Amino acid sequence: MTNTISRRDFLKLGGAAFGALAIGRFIPPRVAQAAREAGYLDATNSGYIPSMCEMCVWRCGLLAKIQDGRVVKLEGNPDHPHSKGKLCPRGQAGLMNTYDPDRVLNPLIRAGNRGAGQFRKASWDEALDLVTKNMLDIKQKYGPEAMVFSSTHNLSQPLFENLLNAFGSPNYGTQRSLCFNAMTVANLMTFGLEEPERDYSQLNYLILTGRNLAEAISNSETGDLIHAIDRGVKVVYLDPRFTKTAAKATEWLPIRPGTDLAFHLALLNVIIGENLYDRSFVSQYTVGFDEVASAVHQYAPEWAAAITEIPADTIRRIAREFAAAAPNALAHNNWRTSNFVNSFQTERAITILNAIVGNWGRTLFPAGGGEGAGLGAPQQPPYPRISALRLDGVPWKYPFVPLQYGVIQQLRDSIIDENPYAAHGWLISRQNPVMSIPDRKKTLKAFEKMDFIVTIDILMNDTAWFSDVVLPEASYLERYDPLSLVGTPLSVTGSRAFLRQPVIEPQGEGKSTLWIYKQLGDRLGLSDFFQYKDEEDYLNQQLAPLGVSLDTVRRQGYVDLPVGNSDIYKWTTTSGKIELSSATLDQAGFDGVPKWDQPPAPSSGHFYLLTGKGARQTQFATQNNQLLHKYDDEPGLWMNTKVAASQGLNNGDMVSVTSSVGQIYVKLIVTEAIRPDCVYMQPGFGHLSMGLTTAYGLGSSDSDIRLTFTDPISGGQALSQTFVTVQKA
Amino acid sequence: MKMQVTINPRLRFHLSPLVWILLALMGIAFVVAMIRYIYGIGAISNLSYSYPWGFWISFDLFTGVAIGSGAFVMAAIVYIFELKEFQPLLRPSVLTGFLGYIMVVIALLVDLGHPERIWYMMIHMNDTSVLLEIGICVMSYLTVLAIEFSPVFFEGIKRKKVAHFIHKFIMPFVILGVVLSTLHQSSLGSLLLIQPAKLYPLWWTPILPVLFFISAIAIGLAMIIFESAVSSRYFHRGLEIHLLEKLAGAIPIVLAIYLIVRFTELTVSNDLQYLFNMDRNHVLMTTLFWAEILLGSIIPLIFFSFKKIRQSPNGILGSAIILLFGMILDRFDVSWFAVRHPDPLTYIPSLMQFNAHYIPSLPELSISVGIFSFGILAFGLAAKYLPLFEDEDGQHAASD
Amino acid sequence: MTDIQNIKHKTFLFDATRCIDCRACMIACSVENNIPMDKTRIWVAGVGLMGEYPNLGRASMVYHCMHCEEPDCLSACPVGAYSKREDGPVLYNKNVCIGCRYCMNACPFGVPHFDYNRGLIDGAFIDKCTMCPQRIDVGLAPACVATCPTDALMFGERDDLLQAAHARIAAHPDRYINHVYGETENGGTSYLILSHVPFDQLGLPNLSSTPVKNVSETVMGITIPFALSWAAVLTGVTIGVHQFNKRKEQIAAEEARAKSEETK
Ligand SMILES: Nc1nc2c(c(=O)[nH]1)N[C@H]1C(S)=C(S)[C@@H](COP(=O)(O)OP(=O)(O)OC[C@H]3O[C@@H](n4cnc5c(=O)[nH]c(N)nc54)[C@H](O)[C@@H]3O)O[C@H]1N2
Ligand SMILES: Nc1nc2c(c(=O)[nH]1)N[C@H]1C(S)=C(S)[C@@H](COP(=O)(O)OP(=O)(O)OC[C@H]3O[C@@H](n4cnc5c(=O)[nH]c(N)nc54)[C@H](O)[C@@H]3O)O[C@H]1N2
Ligand code: SF4
Ligand code: SF4
Ligand code: SF4
Ligand code: SF4
Ligand code: SF4
Ligand SMILES: [Mo]
Repeated sequence: MTNTISRRDFLKLGGAAFGALAIGRFIPPRVAQAAREAGYLDATNSGYIPSMCEMCVWRCGLLAKIQDGRVVKLEGNPDHPHSKGKLCPRGQAGLMNTYDPDRVLNPLIRAGNRGAGQFRKASWDEALDLVTKNMLDIKQKYGPEAMVFSSTHNLSQPLFENLLNAFGSPNYGTQRSLCFNAMTVANLMTFGLEEPERDYSQLNYLILTGRNLAEAISNSETGDLIHAIDRGVKVVYLDPRFTKTAAKATEWLPIRPGTDLAFHLALLNVIIGENLYDRSFVSQYTVGFDEVASAVHQYAPEWAAAITEIPADTIRRIAREFAAAAPNALAHNNWRTSNFVNSFQTERAITILNAIVGNWGRTLFPAGGGEGAGLGAPQQPPYPRISALRLDGVPWKYPFVPLQYGVIQQLRDSIIDENPYAAHGWLISRQNPVMSIPDRKKTLKAFEKMDFIVTIDILMNDTAWFSDVVLPEASYLERYDPLSLVGTPLSVTGSRAFLRQPVIEPQGEGKSTLWIYKQLGDRLGLSDFFQYKDEEDYLNQQLAPLGVSLDTVRRQGYVDLPVGNSDIYKWTTTSGKIELSSATLDQAGFDGVPKWDQPPAPSSGHFYLLTGKGARQTQFATQNNQLLHKYDDEPGLWMNTKVAASQGLNNGDMVSVTSSVGQIYVKLIVTEAIRPDCVYMQPGFGHLSMGLTTAYGLGSSDSDIRLTFTDPISGGQALSQTFVTVQKA
Repeated sequence: MKMQVTINPRLRFHLSPLVWILLALMGIAFVVAMIRYIYGIGAISNLSYSYPWGFWISFDLFTGVAIGSGAFVMAAIVYIFELKEFQPLLRPSVLTGFLGYIMVVIALLVDLGHPERIWYMMIHMNDTSVLLEIGICVMSYLTVLAIEFSPVFFEGIKRKKVAHFIHKFIMPFVILGVVLSTLHQSSLGSLLLIQPAKLYPLWWTPILPVLFFISAIAIGLAMIIFESAVSSRYFHRGLEIHLLEKLAGAIPIVLAIYLIVRFTELTVSNDLQYLFNMDRNHVLMTTLFWAEILLGSIIPLIFFSFKKIRQSPNGILGSAIILLFGMILDRFDVSWFAVRHPDPLTYIPSLMQFNAHYIPSLPELSISVGIFSFGILAFGLAAKYLPLFEDEDGQHAASD
Repeated sequence: MTDIQNIKHKTFLFDATRCIDCRACMIACSVENNIPMDKTRIWVAGVGLMGEYPNLGRASMVYHCMHCEEPDCLSACPVGAYSKREDGPVLYNKNVCIGCRYCMNACPFGVPHFDYNRGLIDGAFIDKCTMCPQRIDVGLAPACVATCPTDALMFGERDDLLQAAHARIAAHPDRYINHVYGETENGGTSYLILSHVPFDQLGLPNLSSTPVKNVSETVMGITIPFALSWAAVLTGVTIGVHQFNKRKEQIAAEEARAKSEETK
């Protein structure tokens, strides 16, 4: 398992921490009888239990307030570096996901046509047997590779991957190629790690390239950013939209979409051309500087100005300011970097920028934690050898995409094309591909190719709606998951593994995926790969090498892991140094140093269709949460005021938005906060599932009309590369 | 001297279309009120967080109380100042007042969130609350009016002894009634004193209660004129024009005092800048101000100064109507049009019931219309069955 | 740092430059206080987006009860449904409320909200922010404050927060309007606000340091003495007029008699 999204923060901040919750003061763990007997919960089953948020992948620590056996409030866990006592809007609203009246609380088996939404309740035995029978049939008829597995990052993913590998299928889809492939593959190429840790404590200058931290919230990092701005850190923010981050930034640059690479190349040009980089750092810790220097020679700010629409003087000034602030400076590597096919090289340019001014060791550190270092795991035999090619082209078509990422949009396309072979079954867990992969009609077409689809979810999401079997997972407040690592820089405190534990009894028939995967494994004849009795047994095996009891971990919510090797100046690249120029890329016929790569642009009358998160929704998963809905803004299509006026469009008009793959209808939001050549939609609305009674009928889905473009290096999807026309409906 | 009053005792609107219409309007209001009691005030009105008070308060409370002022003005004239010649105007005014206040209370029973708790005002008193004072005064005054009117009632049901008995002890109640009226007529103005930040400066002044009291007298006089003139037409009675003319003579004096006080205050508190402010954000307020000053004070002041107009039945009625219109506009301004509630800020989660504008809904209006219909019907019934237009000795004036 | 229970004058400090309008505070309040889905005690105010592309800015604040030092709601309520705790919170008691909504008129901040969607059976009441007594009394910050990811909302001793607020202005005079809203407004409030834009752009009323209730309370203070004197005057006048008239009648009668006698 890759603990991709592990970050840390060790800043101790002043401010409002008055009377923050201290764990010791609260009566700790355990849900049922046992918890009461142990005195954790009082006679009325009331008290506080530490666990972890799962409303997004940031996974903050939480303290659940329990009254009479119900969760009544969630607080941020002050001990957890991602929450520091706070929860973001989604985290605060989390209990409404658990208590959502639309929760799926029983295994369901399809009773009508696919997509008609008719299901009947079934027992776990019946449902699991049906799933097993279908999986075995497919395996027998078409080989294990005809079974596709996909899941979005979650704490039980090691067990999901276990199931996939033991079953013998190479076909694995994650959200990653839709999300951060460009960034992580660039980091891998440069630093040999997926994502370095960022440290804001010594920061003086920050460049955010569309990292909308004020709305695409990463609880602690969002707080760090605001505190940094408060202290006077200069923040340059590039985004075609005036987001809430733009409003906080010192400087907002409404860059032309897809041209961030040109901007960063020009920064490199100035910094190298004016000798503003850190010579000793470059010579000591990097390779390939000269190639970079000669490549960026041609990218003067004047050149970039014409492309990015940012004045040359501004670019030059920022380059100088950035270099002057270094090493207390940071060009943020961003997160969702699935904008254009050149996003990978943009990310490469950013890593190089940080490296040559010597930010490493000051604002950037190796990720702490590592791969579950120090934790145990159940015994298991080696996986069967897999000979079939992966449908998503990794690595035969996409050599640099890690196996655990995959290219899910390509997977979908290959299923439709049955190339290189046909797939027949799809097991989906904690993922909503019907909504998240571009070009929704295509995804539904891929579903039609399937003999059997099973989805594990807590809600009747859109993917479940089109499935044959839906298995109800217990919500994150009702279950255990494997221990998760939250890194802090190795040099600082070592790392901690935090525990997700049930804070209430599961409602209905909901079960943890630790249980579900084991049940499936056992039935599929793969019990050797699931050598644990139950969730607690799994956790005990994880804790065994540390000599800490599960009870202790339950009570404090985490366990400290041994401090690892702390040499931060060693990189796991081929050269062992920071690779400014990548020989690996060169050898594969790609650009070893970033070069300008002009992405397509909309023709006249067309707009870039941008996407980006809103603070009160997570992806395609939370729109049914009534508390979030209560405080959210109405969804719609943003369009620049003057452009709308010139087209005779008014705020609130229904408009049709048309791309080359489809058309949607949506309410228009007229705003000054967007470039005239762009329109924007928040993702996650326009659900197809009528099993989401709050969300159904709300807004429209941009995914419906997005085009599929895959960057051949990182496998990243280019989401901003869809161009549309807008007409009054 | 016995008054020559003519009366046509036949209940002319008995089952006439008008009665049907009034009953229908009352029925509608009743149904709407039931909806309000079951589903809440929001179900029938456009009241909001920004506009907690709307048409009911401006019309039923502020206007209702203002036009009920005829009762205390007449009571003072007849009983306190012993200007007995005005006696014939007393009973209709007291009845109008009495019915007016009943209507106020009915409206409040719709408007209050918890009408069943209205009596809490008597056990949980917060002595800094102007509303408490108004509540207590209105309730007490209603009782006083009932007492003042009761002789008429008892006469009507041929219990003259009781009527006479009550009449003997009427004076303390009259004085109490005048005191209570003074208090709540002025306190209706005080009700807005707590809104210096919301009420437009042309209206907000610490002497609002004084202005309200003075204008209440003018309104009272105008109401007596209006009522007599209208009922004389409707009931085909003779118009006591010489009496009305005398009464009307007092109006210019009252209005002159009102104008002097109001403009002096505006000068003293440095608000003259607003008088002619034609700025986009102010022009509406400026217009409203001048409309109420012209209609409510200046024009009636001029008209009532002419004896000719005062002596002409049409002239006197027309002038009274103009005054009433202007002064009612003042009550609407103070309690609604000129109140600027906290800005309905440009972006707020959709569930917030802030409204930039308030326009009363039809059901909301129907409540007031229904209550008003009740008032008219009750007045008509009283006119038919009670010796309303008789002198206080209970003898039929020479008529028919 | 004092434990929250022991803070003598509990106060909020809100810094608009830190608020990202995420509304976690609002959701926290809804959960903590079990607020119905169609109601809120805390909301976003302000002009929001300002300016024209590409010269843009943003102004918003989180609005809830100011917990005035001299609460106008308390002054206005006829039945005394409001009370002010010595340590700050202004509280509302639904058990005596008659639903007149005068407090909504009185509050210059538009804070009390009436339940327009409930009838007699469900009971329609006022709701407003309480400062979370159930939390502050056991040492927890109010729910909205505790969860704010950016510390835009803070909670503490009023004097300390005032000092902190002024220190921030002094440290970044270019960033803030040189005023702490609530320090003097309406007689001082327990919700202090720092802003980068003029306060009216956050939706705050322009108030003097005199509480809006002052004139009204002064007038109420003289009501009873006035009523008594007025009653005395009226009684006097009544008796006077009566005596005068009687005397006049007598004189007239005497004169008449005299006349008739004369003529005799
Ligand atoms: N509230 C909330 N927070 C979240 C999530 C959520 O769903 N909701 N999801 C989490 C996840 S999985 C992720 S990946 C992160 C994503 O967080 P971010 O990386 O910040 O990504 P987005 O919000 O998707 O997009 C950010 C901005 O990119 C801009 N943009 C689009 N095209 C371009 C371009 O070509 N150049 C530049 N410079 N900008 C462009 C968009 O206008 C948008 O404002 O957020 C995480 N946090
Ligand atoms: N148009 C457009 N497309 C995008 C993006 C965009 O901004 N715009 N963003 C991209 C990004 S950054 C990402 S990361 C991907 C995300 O794409 P996905 O991972 O497909 O989307 P999610 O909405 O995160 O799907 C999570 C699912 O898990 C379910 N779930 C929640 N909690 C649990 C649980 O405890 N157990 C189980 N079993 N299920 C649970 C939810 O109900 C939901 O159905 O989308 C990408 N696609
Ligand atoms: S950032 Fe918000 S949603 Fe994500 S884990 Fe933290 S509190 Fe939960
Ligand atoms: S803000 Fe309004 S409701 Fe709150 S204490 Fe002040 S006057 Fe009362
Ligand atoms: S609505 Fe209730 S709390 Fe408000 S003033 Fe009236 S009685 Fe008092
Ligand atoms: S203090 Fe408590 S009641 Fe007031 S807004 Fe905050 S959370 Fe809500
Ligand atoms: S939680 Fe904090 S940052 Fe978010 S809206 Fe509330 S005050 Fe602003
Ligand atoms: Mo993502």
